[in-house]
Amino acid sequence: METADGKQYHVNLKRGDVGKYVLLPGDPGRCEAIAALFDNPVHVTQNREYNTYTGTLDGVKVSVTSTGIGCPSAAIAIEELVLVGADTFIRVGTSGHIQKDIKSGELAIINAAIRDEGTSLHYMPIEFPAIADIDLVLALQRAAKKTGAKYRTGITQSKDSFYGQHEPERMGVGPDLLNRWKAWEIGGALCSEMEASALFVIASMLRVRAGGVMMVHGVDPMPPLDILLQTSVQALREIIAEDKANGRAVEL
Amino acid sequence: MTKQHHIQLEAGDVGRYVLMPGDPGRVEVIARHLDNAKHIATNREYVTYTGFLDGVKVSVTSTGIGCPSAAIALEELVRVGADTFIRVGTSGAIQPGTKSDELAIITGAIRDEGTSLHYMPAEFPAVANLEIVQALRRAAAASKTPFRLGITQSKDSFYGEVEPERSGVPDRLLKRWKAWEIGGAICSEMESSTLFVVASILGVRAGGIMVMWADGDFKGLDSLIETAIGGVRELIKGDNNGDS
Repeated sequence: METADGKQYHVNLKRGDVGKYVLLPGDPGRCEAIAALFDNPVHVTQNREYNTYTGTLDGVKVSVTSTGIGCPSAAIAIEELVLVGADTFIRVGTSGHIQKDIKSGELAIINAAIRDEGTSLHYMPIEFPAIADIDLVLALQRAAKKTGAKYRTGITQSKDSFYGQHEPERMGVGPDLLNRWKAWEIGGALCSEMEASALFVIASMLRVRAGGVMMVHGVDPMPPLDILLQTSVQALREIIAEDKANGRAVEL
Repeated sequence: MTKQHHIQLEAGDVGRYVLMPGDPGRVEVIARHLDNAKHIATNREYVTYTGFLDGVKVSVTSTGIGCPSAAIALEELVRVGADTFIRVGTSGAIQPGTKSDELAIITGAIRDEGTSLHYMPAEFPAVANLEIVQALRRAAAASKTPFRLGITQSKDSFYGEVEPERSGVPDRLLKRWKAWEIGGAICSEMESSTLFVVASILGVRAGGIMVMWADGDFKGLDSLIETAIGGVRELIKGDNNGDS
């Protein structure tokens, strides 16, 4: 939805403001630290929880836009970013561990998401899988090898309630939450966060690419996020190089 | 050692790598592409041949039509030592403009069936193993076989798809088919989603490659089998290099 000055209603961006490649952290406060890893980063705009910086990597325009917490605001971000020309998205964030042997600081490179949220049901029936773009999964794996990050590739649970995960016993549906958490563990899911599934389902519908990398919070305190941010930025370099090699346009 | 109840196989009968057509009659055709293939067992819809590719034991076991029988095949094959599964089958095209010589390499599946709900809640994604997807892509690229990469709809009713108007729930079927098209799904078949979900639970690898019915024809049946065999060779190469 455009405003009178040609900007998208929520993200406050117009065509030309962002590159085709966009990193999507949840936290608006994290955008500046990610943009510091770009060449020539410029703060473009902030409106509500949507904060955007644009710079370059290997001479190609790239951006970082925060989504806020949860699929409702993340869906708005990806819809409006596609309308201003972006087509490749990597969610960069933090998550809780589901598999008990994951240590704090390991990265989860996401290949698919559990649709444990309400937003993506406004787009597709529940049976439709929330799948990450495979070339972004591979780019993130190459990036993690280069940054030396310890990583696993697998499934994330995308949920609507942070406190339903952390304090299920006080919820009216506590037993259901606990049963379902056990199911995700049995199914092999790695981690739990709050945005990936809607991003993946909407990306499928809009024929754009979405992937994700999360630092996982295990039992111990979290280390600094530097290697997460470095890996996400390196993944953009990897996919840009591959797109150039394949003759795919890297600029709008 | 006792044999698994339905597939009538025991440890040693099959390799780590198993190709899984739906049709028992197609097992022999696929097995001709293996070295020294031997018929091992036939019981119900489960026919198994085992042979070799590049000196490594590889098997072909049919699943029968539908997720209920496919789930049994996968469960029992894992119990006799297999851990890498490629569904090889036929499907209907969903996207307009699909050509009948294009193959579908599957990245994920729509869980439009009942079996996988006995394993995991519906929100859990049916996702293909990445190494298998890449192996099939490399095989298709090497033989210059045209293919699409994407999502399949795995359904429980063949006639609900091809003749929805005579179903008691025609509006539902037609609306949902439109949703799958909007979502970018490339084809429709009847086994993948359960194979992927059960494989996630069991910690094994599953993927799929399908020929698509389009323009009133299947043109890619030969290239389907050749590409699937090429995919297994790629996996063997990768596994020997320690990629997995």
